[in-house]
Amino acid sequence: MSGMLARLLGLGLGLLVAAAGGQAQTDPVDELSLLQGDPARGRLVFAPCRACHFTEEAAGHGNGPNLSRIFGRVAGQQTGFEHYSDALKASQFVWTPQLMYTWLENPLGVLPGTTMMSAGVPDPSRRADLIAYLQSISVRQAPSVSR
Amino acid sequence: MTDAGDKRGLRRRDLLAGFGAAAAGSVALAAAALPASRVASWDIYADVLVAGSGAAGTCAAIEAARAGANVLLIESLPRFGGSSAMSAGVIYAGGGTALQRALGVEDSVENMVSFISRAGGKHPPLEKIQLYCEGSSAHFDWLVEQGVPYSQQMSQGMAVPQGGESLYYSGCERAWPARELALPAPRGHVPVARGMTGGRVLMEALLAQAGALGVRLQASVSGQRLIVTSEGRVIGMQVNVGGEPKTIRAYRGVVLASGGFIHNRDMVRNYAPELYDCSVPWGNMGDQGMGINMGIGVGAAALRMHQGFAIVPLYPPDAVLSGIVVNASGQRFVPEDTYYGVLGDAIAFHQQGRAWLITDRRGEPPAGQDNFLPVARGNTIGDLADQLGFPKGALQDSVAYYNRHAANGDDPLFHKRPPILRPLQGPPYTAWDLAVDKAFFPAHTFGGLQTGLDGEVYNSFGEAIPGLYAAGRTSSGLPGAPYIASGLSVGDATFFGRRAGQAAARRGPPS
Repeated sequence: MSGMLARLLGLGLGLLVAAAGGQAQTDPVDELSLLQGDPARGRLVFAPCRACHFTEEAAGHGNGPNLSRIFGRVAGQQTGFEHYSDALKASQFVWTPQLMYTWLENPLGVLPGTTMMSAGVPDPSRRADLIAYLQSISVRQAPSVSR
Repeated sequence: MTDAGDKRGLRRRDLLAGFGAAAAGSVALAAAALPASRVASWDIYADVLVAGSGAAGTCAAIEAARAGANVLLIESLPRFGGSSAMSAGVIYAGGGTALQRALGVEDSVENMVSFISRAGGKHPPLEKIQLYCEGSSAHFDWLVEQGVPYSQQMSQGMAVPQGGESLYYSGCERAWPARELALPAPRGHVPVARGMTGGRVLMEALLAQAGALGVRLQASVSGQRLIVTSEGRVIGMQVNVGGEPKTIRAYRGVVLASGGFIHNRDMVRNYAPELYDCSVPWGNMGDQGMGINMGIGVGAAALRMHQGFAIVPLYPPDAVLSGIVVNASGQRFVPEDTYYGVLGDAIAFHQQGRAWLITDRRGEPPAGQDNFLPVARGNTIGDLADQLGFPKGALQDSVAYYNRHAANGDDPLFHKRPPILRPLQGPPYTAWDLAVDKAFFPAHTFGGLQTGLDGEVYNSFGEAIPGLYAAGRTSSGLPGAPYIASGLSVGDATFFGRRAGQAAARRGPPS
């Protein structure tokens, strides 16, 4: 339990660092909504992530978990994916656009135990674009009538 | 620093500095050699030091340990496996491997040599190719012995198998002109894995072997510079551990297996401008060029630094290839049914990074795919040509010529094969943008240090640098431009990584 607490504390620190790192004093929630990400631009910002993550639900999991309709899910809990880090499993994250925005600024800084070997997307507007793209994917797949 | 790409490069480097990699500032300076005379004390000792835990480094460590050496394997990131673990894990093997024989596939060493040496770019490394092909069957047996799982099933499709098959035509073997240069044979050997995780399966097996053999595996330790004697012998490495510089003494040899440099954006722009423009830097974030730069820092020659993997995945499904791919003159330039690495190379390096896929109604890609996007749609080819601004009549001429011969099952220009070869007919016609910066266009680097058959690193005067070895994408090996088959890169990394580890372990203590 103390390990989990430490990790949650780690997340808290990550959030603080992320907020302090941005030039403005705005908190990350406001920053993301102010940025107004563009899903069309985000398509190629996301593209390097495809080395490990599929966005089509039917494609299942790759080296990383499937990201179709990722928002609203509890992190580290998707069925069928066996390679979550202990850190992510214990994190009790719920993936919101705001949390994703914080996470992707520096994934290894937010959660040092993560197995996601990505430098993230440090540029704020590009990061907002990526998140907008992931949201558009979720919307596109939501009315999955023919499955 | 004005564009986002520049900022991204800097931030990535700053971030790595946080793990104890290069301090912000010039990468080349950080990688400059450190004279042994300035090393006051050694912190860590090994017979063989391997830098990088992908396929090349792990295979080197395994073989060095089997040869009796005390081996230290360091990885700059917190996780082992490198880009190999993120790949599909395909190994290009042939000449009659156990799996080929079990499936009744006809192949020979000579045939495989012909394909690799003739279907790709000019002046390939013939000695390496010959050795690789002669040893390929035994190398596959070795991978099986390390615990890498393969099934006795084969796929006929062009894409990496998704149904548990372990053998497929992973390259351009069946496309023109390759099929006239060598008898086509399936040589892509894929570990049994779900959802493109073959590289993970491969690396889990290899890393487990390394651990079982007593290799010391150290994560979050990044190489900074090689340590050299006044005679030019490499005897160790200065590394960064949690922000602290440490010195590692390597009594027998140092193996650089630190990947390529696709994530070092300054290096890519300087060395490989065509790859810089490709939309998707592909691979593990550790591909920062540190091994290459450390080698250059002690005088190593670096070869073919502009070459790389630049792919535009049109398939699956293969049916998309019934369309034609044209350049800015509205003309075809490649057999569309070739390997996507050959197509990507043709676009990135020979068509100024611009191309379009033209489809008819039947040839449309699956709805929802966004690898490449439609930029013009019309009821006639002329409509498309007008919208795209092609030279007057050029696209219409291309399609008319193509259709006239395709109706007879011929493609005089590029010898595309039926049934993929068929006339384009039936609106709507659509043009899809395949530009390197608009389509999903992954790229990584193939340029690296000049090495011999045992991974020994050469300087620009053709002399081996004592004590220094390199393998995988830190070296210049079998993969070149165009990239003609999946599995050549990881295949080269495993095969020559093993040889580098054996050679490094053989070398006695320096006198």
